[in-house]
Amino acid sequence: MSEIFAEARNVSKRFTHEPDFAERIASKLGAVSTRKVVHALDGVDLTIEKGEVVGLVGESGCGKSTLGRIIAGMIPATEGDVLVKGEKRDSLRGQAAREARLKTQIIFQDPMSSLNPRKRVLDIVGEAPVAHGLIKRGEKRKLVEDLLETVGLDPSMTDRYPHQFSGGQRQRLGIARALAVKPEFLVCDESIAALDISIQAQVINLFMDLRKSFDLTYLFISHDLGVVNHIADRVVIMYLGRVVESGRVEDIFERPNHPYTAALLAEVPSIDKRHRTFTTIKGEIPSPVSPPSGCHFHPRCPHAFERCRIERPALVDLGGRHQSACHLNELPERPDFNMSIQGEGRV
Amino acid sequence: MSNPSETSEIVLEVTDLKTHFATPAGEVKSVDGVSFSVRRGEILGLVGESGSGKSITGFSIIGLVDPPGRNVGGSILFKGEDLLAASEKQLRTLRGNRIAMIFQDPMMTLNPVLSVKTHMVETVLAHESVSRAEALRRSIEALRMVGISQPETRIESYPHEFSGGMRQRVAIAIALLHKPDLIIADEPTTALDVTIQSQILSEVQVLCRELGMGLIWISHDLGVVAGLADRIAVMYAGRIVEQGDVDQILDRPKHPYTAGLIGSAPAANRRGERLTQIRGSAPHPLRRPEGCAFRTRCDFSTDACLQEPTETIGAADYRWRCFNPLGATEATS
Repeated sequence: MSEIFAEARNVSKRFTHEPDFAERIASKLGAVSTRKVVHALDGVDLTIEKGEVVGLVGESGCGKSTLGRIIAGMIPATEGDVLVKGEKRDSLRGQAAREARLKTQIIFQDPMSSLNPRKRVLDIVGEAPVAHGLIKRGEKRKLVEDLLETVGLDPSMTDRYPHQFSGGQRQRLGIARALAVKPEFLVCDESIAALDISIQAQVINLFMDLRKSFDLTYLFISHDLGVVNHIADRVVIMYLGRVVESGRVEDIFERPNHPYTAALLAEVPSIDKRHRTFTTIKGEIPSPVSPPSGCHFHPRCPHAFERCRIERPALVDLGGRHQSACHLNELPERPDFNMSIQGEGRV
Repeated sequence: MSNPSETSEIVLEVTDLKTHFATPAGEVKSVDGVSFSVRRGEILGLVGESGSGKSITGFSIIGLVDPPGRNVGGSILFKGEDLLAASEKQLRTLRGNRIAMIFQDPMMTLNPVLSVKTHMVETVLAHESVSRAEALRRSIEALRMVGISQPETRIESYPHEFSGGMRQRVAIAIALLHKPDLIIADEPTTALDVTIQSQILSEVQVLCRELGMGLIWISHDLGVVAGLADRIAVMYAGRIVEQGDVDQILDRPKHPYTAGLIGSAPAANRRGERLTQIRGSAPHPLRRPEGCAFRTRCDFSTDACLQEPTETIGAADYRWRCFNPLGATEATS
């Protein structure tokens, strides 16, 4: 279990607004141009071991999808390296690069926008393995039927189009397509967020079954802490482009170290928490165009002090693979904020 | 949090409401015999999956169902007045004044080319003859109530200058302008982040208690409703299958569908184990099974379920529709 499958080293990603025609003319004529730069990722480290399910959690705009896409090799990082099985992803060429791409598949939130509406299931699922020479054309139908069976769909649906399926079934199609090229690593980007509760449970069960039968490694990106708590081995919490805390799922959910993690856990709705008086962390997530100085969370943090405004806290090892980026850990007397987590007493 | 007394005044009483949509393929019975009531200061969580008819129930109350949808039966008594019999003119005086609605997407409420000030002042003036200065004062007050800082200056802003959470607050402030007797909230926090959702739930909860409003909170998220509501009504295929106190519904559900929904939440399961799941998926609205619509997915169905189950009423206005309720050996008290 200690073999590292994928690793992100000090990865940063900045999206720059390209100036349009009018702006280019204006700047040629001497106008001061203000380039807006979105700091989507800011020096992120992440390791994923073989066979592990890593839950990547954060609120919108924290960069979790960007990180998932960079690790999957869909978009390049501005700085830093992504390593797959010890080799730098962007230094691979030819056959090796193709192989690395095939071994990592991504499953999106909205299956309708990732399934071609004018193709039949047979082609949607079967095209990639034929194109990559994994199977012969004649074996396509058999493979697709087997895959549909694997993800819990009726194999007789092979000749249907995506619109003839319900939302949950379409998500299963997306999973079948990903499995078709025999991946070792699945990046699930909010893959169950759009599904109804009863369907969501079915798809979560499917992910857990597939993990066992195909020996898969997952990066499970989600904003839903309840789901992540259920399926992940390790959890990584992101806030505004940085990892604030990571650790084994028990550590994160039972002994959160970072004030943001604690606040997030206190506020996640659960059927065990009845008639709540909602206690909230103040403020909103700042814009990634102009992130706050020092610790990104300090304007909303109830425990922030002078140092948090100036210096970026580094991810510090707390033992047992539990890491947290918070200056409070270096204070002689750390404030106890875990008291604010009500009713979170489950295993 | 104090529960509203069970004797407080009933604001809304919906009886056997039916809203159907005539489509070329057939009659879609989106809401098919729904009954419930809301008291002053009470929060009712209306829960269901997509297509269960929960939003159409909300739209029916406030009279926003467009053709081909139409009401085909039942009554909606709002403080004793039947809204289904009311004229469009009467409805206009109630809507936004005594009954308000909050939508999932605040941009459905907000006009992008008007400032927040215009939205709010016009809303006040539409229902009351007060001076513009007074209307502005009340608008600023409403913004302050929903937790917007510096409302005097921010009221001049346009909707696009606000973030998603702030827009939803503005929409809630507009709904609160006339201190309505009833607010219908249709998944208003579904698109928001957890910390922002929590802030809005907190504001809504306090306002509802303080102003004594009835609130219908429509949601697919049992977790949110568990924390917020006093009563829960669970909808499936156009009907309320079970309704009662939050604790009754979540701890001792009688309907197998409710039990299935609760069981499929990760929180109800041990970490890493398979979730208990409801098999199959919700039936197409044109091809719902005869009798109990849930019977094809239900582990407890019998021949009796081929008939339509009637509503059984227990203590504390706890009601369920099932021939084979769970825990049937217990007394219904």
